[in-house]
Amino acid sequence: MEVTLPRATLWRVFWRSLFLQAAWNRRGMQNLGFAYAIAPALRRLYPERERRRAALRRHLSTFNCHPYTAAAIVGGAIHHEERVAAGEEPESAPLEYKQVLQGPLAAVGDGFFWAGLRPFAGALAAVGVLAVGWPALLAVIVLYNAVQLWVRFSLFRVGYRYGDAVVDRLAALSLPAWGARLRSAGTLVAGAGVTLLAARSVGGAGRWATAVAIAAALAGWWVLSRGRRLLPSAYGAMLLGTLLGAALGQLGGGP
Amino acid sequence: MEYLLLAVVAGLAAVERKGFLQAMLSRPVALAPLTGLVLGDLRAGLLLGPPLELLWLGAVNLGAALPPHEALGSAAIVGGAVLAGRSLGTGVTPAVACLTVALVATLAVLGRRTDRTIEEQNVRLAARAESLLERGEFRAALRVNLAGLLLPFAASFVLAPIAAAAAAWLVPSALRRLPALAPPLALGWAALCGFAAAAGARAFRAQNGGQLFVTAVALSALLARMLGIWR
Repeated sequence: MEVTLPRATLWRVFWRSLFLQAAWNRRGMQNLGFAYAIAPALRRLYPERERRRAALRRHLSTFNCHPYTAAAIVGGAIHHEERVAAGEEPESAPLEYKQVLQGPLAAVGDGFFWAGLRPFAGALAAVGVLAVGWPALLAVIVLYNAVQLWVRFSLFRVGYRYGDAVVDRLAALSLPAWGARLRSAGTLVAGAGVTLLAARSVGGAGRWATAVAIAAALAGWWVLSRGRRLLPSAYGAMLLGTLLGAALGQLGGGP
Repeated sequence: MEYLLLAVVAGLAAVERKGFLQAMLSRPVALAPLTGLVLGDLRAGLLLGPPLELLWLGAVNLGAALPPHEALGSAAIVGGAVLAGRSLGTGVTPAVACLTVALVATLAVLGRRTDRTIEEQNVRLAARAESLLERGEFRAALRVNLAGLLLPFAASFVLAPIAAAAAAWLVPSALRRLPALAPPLALGWAALCGFAAAAGARAFRAQNGGQLFVTAVALSALLARMLGIWR
């Protein structure tokens, strides 16, 4: 018996998958979010309450993945639940699918989105705002969301249609290679922002500002690469900059 | 009224950051201008957003590890700076920005601790969902997921205006008492901006990152000289 879900139900699941981390907890992690997301599909697939309860129960087991790439697993879990409902697969199939894929997909999502695309977009937006103002920010945010929503949606669709084959589709995108490129590009963008930051944020106020910003950038890199912590180092930068300003003021050559 | 607006923006940002969507709206570069806009000072938000974004570029939720709460920190910093600048009648100057960041930035660390506590509290939500499911109340069991959005919202709703109020009170009184402090603080702000760029670049952990960063800094310095931005 072939069981397929109406389009509206799939849309509801996709919408709900955006709340995957709403009740992130130390024990089950994204378990509540996952059950919440897949529930409309289970309602269709299991009209009998007992089977539905069993299905919901299995999707309340511990789950953790990247919130974007998890869309593939939500789709794939429905793919397997359809087969469980039709009696073609054992009840353990959807859980096995989730357990096998959550680690690798989390690694891909963390590496590409959290460590690559999003910080790159952040650095680009920051430098863009300094260079041309808010339109740059708007453009970056729109582009970033076009990419992340497209990836989420297509992973969801491919997961639903092809189940396990979602792995091959994802591999074809070669996200890790793109992540590495974005990390190099992002480093350049952040570095290029130094003089712009100094010029824009302190205004035309001082010829010393740019020199201080450049010195702080180079010293900051050095200090952080020696494993110093972020906020204490930031306070150190502010303090040293202020002291230097006071000293220059005493010498009469101040900003 | 301003504090209520700030509280709502900070609360919504905390929700967008983890519980729903993750569309970059709670990242400092977007949240700072949004907060500025809501408080009637978009310019200040655009001034503060870029350095805060770069400073906290590495604030990323990897696996189960929690980063500092960059959204709470940014909302409170922008709120505090805008209100302090308004009370001084100068707007957000580099000195106001520097003092406000110095006062409020640690809130991001407190925010991380709050996040941790919330995640432990949420274990109870999961248990409640399980028991509702066993009692056959499926809908109620699933709706528990959305209840998880409440605590992050509430924590930022409360903490952001408190920190902003402290800055809005302390920063103007310090600068009124010691007006000579303003020019040196402007250099402190320039130093923080430079440091933020380094922190942002470090966050990428790129191969040969050091060489790339130094090259980019040198090129931008050269360009700034040629264009006359840096005299």
